[in-house]
Amino acid sequence: MSRLSNISGIIAIAVLAVSCSQKAIVAGEFPANAGPIYPDYMGVTVPAGIAPLNFCYTAPGTSKAVTTFSFGYQSFTVKGVEVRIPEKKWKSMLQAARGSQITVSSTVLDEPWTISVSEDDIDYGLTYRLLEPGYEVYSKMGIYERELGSFKEKALIENTEFSGCVNCHATNRGEPSQYSLHIRGDHGATLLQLQGKLDAYNTKTDSTLGFCVYPYWHPEGEYIAYSTNNTRQGFHVQQDKLIEVFDLDSDLQVYDIRNNTLITAPQIKEKDYWETFPSFSPDGRTLYFCRAVPKSIPENITDIRYSFCKVGFDPATGTIGQDVEVLIDAENDSLSVCFPKPSYDGKYVVYTQSAYGNFSIWHHEADLWMLDLQTGERRPLDVLNSPDTESYHNFSSNGKWFQLASRRDDGLFTRIYISHFDSETGEFTKPFMLPQKNPRTFYRDRFLSYNVTEFTTGPVQLDKVRARKIIASPERVPFGFRWSR
Amino acid sequence: MNKFQRYSCMAFSALFAVAVFCFYCFQYRYHVAYQEQYQLFEWTAGYFASVCSVPGGFADWCGRFLVQFFIQAPAGALIYALLLAGVQVLCFLTFRARNLLLYALSFIPAILLWIFCCNESSLIGAVVAVILSLSALHASFSFKLNPVLRLLAVPVLYMLCGPAALVYALAICADGFRPGVLACSILLIAACPFAGQFIFHRTLLQLSTGVHYFRFPFVVAWMPLIASAVAAVLCWLSSLDWSGVRTSTSNWLGWGVAMVFAAAIPSVVKAGCDFRKEESMKYDFLVRYHLWNRTIDAAAHRQPGSPMTVSSLNLALAMNSQLGEHQFEFFQNGPDGLLPGFVRDFTSPLPTAEAYWNLGMVNTAQRYTFEAQEAIPDQQKSARCYRRLAQTNIINGDLDVARKYLDALDNTLFYRRWAQDMRQAIESGKALDNPELKHISELRLRDHDFLFSETEMDSMIGLLMLENHSNSVAVQYLMSWCLLKKDLDRFEQCFSLVRGTMMNKSYQEALLLLWASTHDGVDGMPLDLQGPNVSRLGSFIEAYQAGSSEEEMQKKFGDTYWFYYFYRYK
Repeated sequence: MSRLSNISGIIAIAVLAVSCSQKAIVAGEFPANAGPIYPDYMGVTVPAGIAPLNFCYTAPGTSKAVTTFSFGYQSFTVKGVEVRIPEKKWKSMLQAARGSQITVSSTVLDEPWTISVSEDDIDYGLTYRLLEPGYEVYSKMGIYERELGSFKEKALIENTEFSGCVNCHATNRGEPSQYSLHIRGDHGATLLQLQGKLDAYNTKTDSTLGFCVYPYWHPEGEYIAYSTNNTRQGFHVQQDKLIEVFDLDSDLQVYDIRNNTLITAPQIKEKDYWETFPSFSPDGRTLYFCRAVPKSIPENITDIRYSFCKVGFDPATGTIGQDVEVLIDAENDSLSVCFPKPSYDGKYVVYTQSAYGNFSIWHHEADLWMLDLQTGERRPLDVLNSPDTESYHNFSSNGKWFQLASRRDDGLFTRIYISHFDSETGEFTKPFMLPQKNPRTFYRDRFLSYNVTEFTTGPVQLDKVRARKIIASPERVPFGFRWSR
Repeated sequence: MNKFQRYSCMAFSALFAVAVFCFYCFQYRYHVAYQEQYQLFEWTAGYFASVCSVPGGFADWCGRFLVQFFIQAPAGALIYALLLAGVQVLCFLTFRARNLLLYALSFIPAILLWIFCCNESSLIGAVVAVILSLSALHASFSFKLNPVLRLLAVPVLYMLCGPAALVYALAICADGFRPGVLACSILLIAACPFAGQFIFHRTLLQLSTGVHYFRFPFVVAWMPLIASAVAAVLCWLSSLDWSGVRTSTSNWLGWGVAMVFAAAIPSVVKAGCDFRKEESMKYDFLVRYHLWNRTIDAAAHRQPGSPMTVSSLNLALAMNSQLGEHQFEFFQNGPDGLLPGFVRDFTSPLPTAEAYWNLGMVNTAQRYTFEAQEAIPDQQKSARCYRRLAQTNIINGDLDVARKYLDALDNTLFYRRWAQDMRQAIESGKALDNPELKHISELRLRDHDFLFSETEMDSMIGLLMLENHSNSVAVQYLMSWCLLKKDLDRFEQCFSLVRGTMMNKSYQEALLLLWASTHDGVDGMPLDLQGPNVSRLGSFIEAYQAGSSEEEMQKKFGDTYWFYYFYRYK
């Protein structure tokens, strides 16, 4: 036995030794649009609690580098083309540099650059789905939690435990004790964790279109707005496009947690519109959503445009207002709005704008835009956008940080970027890519996309044994249904 | 055992290995290649760590390491032979007593595992797990480890090998019976999966029966566990007092058991095999390596019957520009035998992807390849698929994505050189100078975009042909699609686009059939339709109207489109 252990140990060490030596940078090692360092952390603003922004020099042939980080009297150097910053020194420097800037200089690059350290704290971490960006069939996927102060990533649930797919998940403004997670496949269910109790629900009722899909928690935690979508996929034959995901029908509904009842109203379940992407205003009295005029698909797929709308909501009675107001008329402006996310101060809504359709992740032209709810002014968020896709996004619980999904690296694999948001000015800072321990190979080796990323204010306590048990069980708590009064 | 018996035993073990080798090398060779194409073994610490992160992961990693050599069938057969013979030898080495009867019985776990390995979804890591567990048992006996160390090894072995550690746990003190140690050992091995369900994202059943013993994670593979339990029982059996049994008795019994095994193995192993699947794997292999002539030869030897095998044959015919001439000499099962519809499966989309690739439908080839890979039940990746995905991304101009696939292939043993060559070509801007990529990129659609639709296949292939008249595969597929759908009007319409440049047997037969349905005689018949086929059609109609049986018609006209039109794909 001991001999066998020795052999496996030797193999492991040999494998590690082969893989860990720092080689000179070779051409094409990083994305074609990479700057002098990858990820591009030049001039970014970070929270004091962020994990080290490890990076790598990108110029082909670079084999040696000395990088110096300095703030005031503090300074340390890192040797090598892969700049792996010592965690303790990094954290100590960040704390000292709150509200100021760290200067980074290098023997490889002529000009030093800065990293600004914000005084605003960021949430504990992020939760996201990881899956390979593909078509209809899925392999391994799961919901994962990443601590932002370190490189720790842990699986909350994976589809190795059951046959199916984990899908949209959401917390109430990052509060991990209020957690919603959708499972698709043979064991389809919506898992709801409320104050530590986890149950599996059947969200399909006789009076609604189908299962609940895109969730958004009401700020008071007593409702969850859901869309229900009849979604299909199509596959392009041209090289600049791959996939088209579209709805053939969709409606909105609000789940009343206390009474275990789905509430809907004719004005958000119209035959003449496909409604989707619900979100509540921070005061909980407005329900935002997107809607499109149905058109025949696939012939008119490029004419499907989602407008941005709002309707009143009374949390005391669970009543949906009568009048739908169109805030952005997509038909008039020849654009399509998806993923509207209000800032928590109620002043702005950030949304994804694409040429058509509602599944912007497969649209290279998709960008983030912001609507000022006070002035009605709309503008593209140029500092966040890239020539490729920007899509899913959200604010941190204190509204000071913003995460977005972008395919700017290679046009296919979605990565997470984080930006600081100043609600006074409505301005964002240059976003930084979610840092990883091994900057050189991590994103290259990861064949998975980050999907539906959300901030979390603390670790999600998902009882995996209970989750497994209730998913495998055929029993589901049924949703009730009522029309809005 | 005397010297003669020892040599006889060695000879029998060697003979067993030779039998296994011959079986996998000559009888079941495509099964070997099949195993290799559903994994991507990377020589990286990250891969090692990810595979080893579940119980049984180390054995699985070793198994995957070995399977990468299956790219060459003889190497794979040799590995199977050495592993199965290894199980037998190790099983015998763990025995406390040595005689011919016990020697013969030591083949049982190896035979059980051989049967197990005949299933295409069985993973070789299970055999490695049994070997590691038997090795651990043998080592603990040889080094006379104390009970505490032996017990400590149980969870370690469970982590390395998974539940195949059962053999170790059950026979832990077969060299000196201690009830307390045995009880503790059984408790430990039973506790491991229970504890594991709180640590790993696996079900209790998976942790109890092996996470990576079988390609389908929610299907229980009992055979490795049975083999382990049998090995443990035999080990205990060997620890009994054999002094009361006369040597001659055990010898005769041993020879008898050996003869029974020798006689039974062929039929027992055959019962575990599925030669229908082996046939499909063969076509898949031939298409993968573009062995078009061998594909046609294989079909001539035995008619293919499934959509996967028929579509492979049709692709081979088209690649040899023989589809119009010879297609209906082989069994045809309708349009599905040309371009099978998409199924959420990891096997059949691969040869279909080859067809789309050779047609120039790069995105569709990419989708089918990707979907096949994603459908691999144990969630592994595939070197074969990565290679094709790198190619499709290069043609699509998505070079950063192509680089990712090439980087992964660069970590493998057998795809490294190709990946490095392609990588070099990309960096020097000459990726599309590669003859295959250049050819396919010239075939692809440039002026039209639409959403793929299986119901409008003729339109899609027609556009390929319209945009590039030299796309001979598209021309043949378009004609064939219409013929297989029995849409003669559409066929005539499409054929008018290429009439004058090509005329093949089946096209002539279809046009004659169309002519016969709208004319009373041969007056005015186009010149290119005239010839011996006219009188043969007359004979066909005569026999058909006379009510000849299907068998008779097949005998006389089985190689014609007319037979397909009236008797197939109804």
